[in-house]
Amino acid sequence: MFEVNEKEPVIEMEKVCIRYGQGPEILTNIDLTLERGSFHFLTGKSGAGKTSLLSMMYLAQKPSRGRVSVFGNNVNFTNRNALSMFRRRIGVVFQDFRLLEHVSAFDNVALPLRVCGMGEKEIRKRVTELLKWVEIDRSTSAITSTLSGGEKQRVAIARAVINRPDVLLADEPTGNVDNDIAPKLMKLFIELNKLGTTVVIATHNENLIRDFKYPCIHLKNHGLRIIKAGERGSDVEI
Amino acid sequence: MWKYDNLKHRELPLSKDSSNLFLKIMISISVFLFAVTLAGVLAINSMLINWNSSILGSLTVQIIPVNSSDRQKARDETIVQEQRAVAMLEAMPETIKVTPLNEDQLQHLLRPWLGDDVNIDDLPTPRLIDVKIKPRAEINFKVLAEKLASVAPQASLDNHKLWLNKLINFAAGIKMLALAVLLLVICVTSGAIFYTTQTSLGLHRDVIEILHLMGAKDTYIAQQYAGRTAILGFIGGIIGVALAVPVIFLIAHMAGQIEGGIINEAHLSRGAWTAITSLPIFSALIAMQTAYYTVKKTLERMM
Ligand SMILES: Nc1ncnc2c1ncn2[C@@H]1O[C@H](COP(=O)(O)OP(=O)(O)OP(=O)(O)O)[C@@H](O)[C@H]1O
Ligand SMILES: [Mg+2]
Repeated sequence: MFEVNEKEPVIEMEKVCIRYGQGPEILTNIDLTLERGSFHFLTGKSGAGKTSLLSMMYLAQKPSRGRVSVFGNNVNFTNRNALSMFRRRIGVVFQDFRLLEHVSAFDNVALPLRVCGMGEKEIRKRVTELLKWVEIDRSTSAITSTLSGGEKQRVAIARAVINRPDVLLADEPTGNVDNDIAPKLMKLFIELNKLGTTVVIATHNENLIRDFKYPCIHLKNHGLRIIKAGERGSDVEI
Repeated sequence: MWKYDNLKHRELPLSKDSSNLFLKIMISISVFLFAVTLAGVLAINSMLINWNSSILGSLTVQIIPVNSSDRQKARDETIVQEQRAVAMLEAMPETIKVTPLNEDQLQHLLRPWLGDDVNIDDLPTPRLIDVKIKPRAEINFKVLAEKLASVAPQASLDNHKLWLNKLINFAAGIKMLALAVLLLVICVTSGAIFYTTQTSLGLHRDVIEILHLMGAKDTYIAQQYAGRTAILGFIGGIIGVALAVPVIFLIAHMAGQIEGGIINEAHLSRGAWTAITSLPIFSALIAMQTAYYTVKKTLERMM
């Protein structure tokens, strides 16, 4: 009954508001459509609501008002099992990584595949390959809590992309990594995008936005504005 | 639904939960109590079966001779009462065959006591009626005794059986009580597992949230809890049974010393021992099911 609808936009928001408890509305009347295969940066000052907006897209919370549809399904009317199935097609790099600290880097990256019930042999092959690619091959069996910030970030990215998701949502994915690996990670996102993955990257990194000509979803004063690449005015702070 | 692969995954660090020790001890005690009580129930059961088979099947009604100076009249009256008792017993649906013993048979029975020379016609001997009862027929001996008394005041039921019948009712009562205790032990243990599982879910909320965000269904998480709790249930069960077996032997030994041979019939069959020693499997199953459904029910309330 709840199915990934290939024809609908991947994510659609209509008059969406977010608030936490009885607090003020962080975002008000957001309208946003992410078409399949699109690539956006998500910008806005600290506290503007970037993480909050993403968290609705990765189905961690429901809007306090308005409609959010994921893969053509209104999340308010979608049952738990279907939401789980949708989450499996959404890769997320969390701002605070949200890795399982007590297990190894390998197990963290393997998690999305295990959750789907993939066989361990296939998992071993895929995870080892990807960890090598993000340059974590040295410490794959190390307990995650012993990794450095940059290493954790790369593990988090590997976990987000391991299952070739339809949507990739990355919250500050290049915040903790060295400058030479940041472009490499961006290339990964771009490669995925070429294969059809819809990508949203929240970032403060001016260089990224300048170097890669993608449109920005800019959050300001509880509202949202799409800025086409190269059209950025002086009023846009990030 | 139960995939072996899923049971191997250990994203939740459940083996470090501090409630594990509590659960293990709790389940050990429960299984201990369960095993001892179960042994009691099974012993009572085998006792009841023995007793029942000894009182069921047949019974003897005695017509005590009427006491009168006129011997012939007394004899006649006794025989009349015997006939009435026979008629009444034959009318009962539970009886198969009612046989009043004739003179020869009575004489045969009495000879060992009286010797060959005595003519029992001269003595006020009781008359006996042998009654065959249908297998599985349940006869209330008290009511039967009263009914007999109303048609034949001289009739009396075999005393031993009447007494055994009371004992059977008493034992059956005890058995029901013990069964209630068994049920209670299961409920209390399940309750403890329910609450410790809920506490643990709260404790690992962040990990569970991550699992959910990765697309894990509640079943995936529930299986990790079920697997862990089943192990605790099994270990607790082994400890509980290991403690219970010597206690059961001790109680059986003490019961065997009671005179009268009543309790002697209360030995545990091989089937009973199999049931008792397989309790760890049941405690593991119950622990597993309880944990599984607690997780499912609790997580349903999350997004
Ligand atoms: N769980 C929460 N409970 C209450 N308030 C929250 C919660 N999460 C975020 N907020 C509030 O919502 C507002 C937006 O937060 P959010 O994390 O979405 O901002 P952001 O744009 O991601 O900021 P940053 O660039 O620093 O990551 C902030 O004012 C924050 O205090
Ligand atoms: Mg943020």
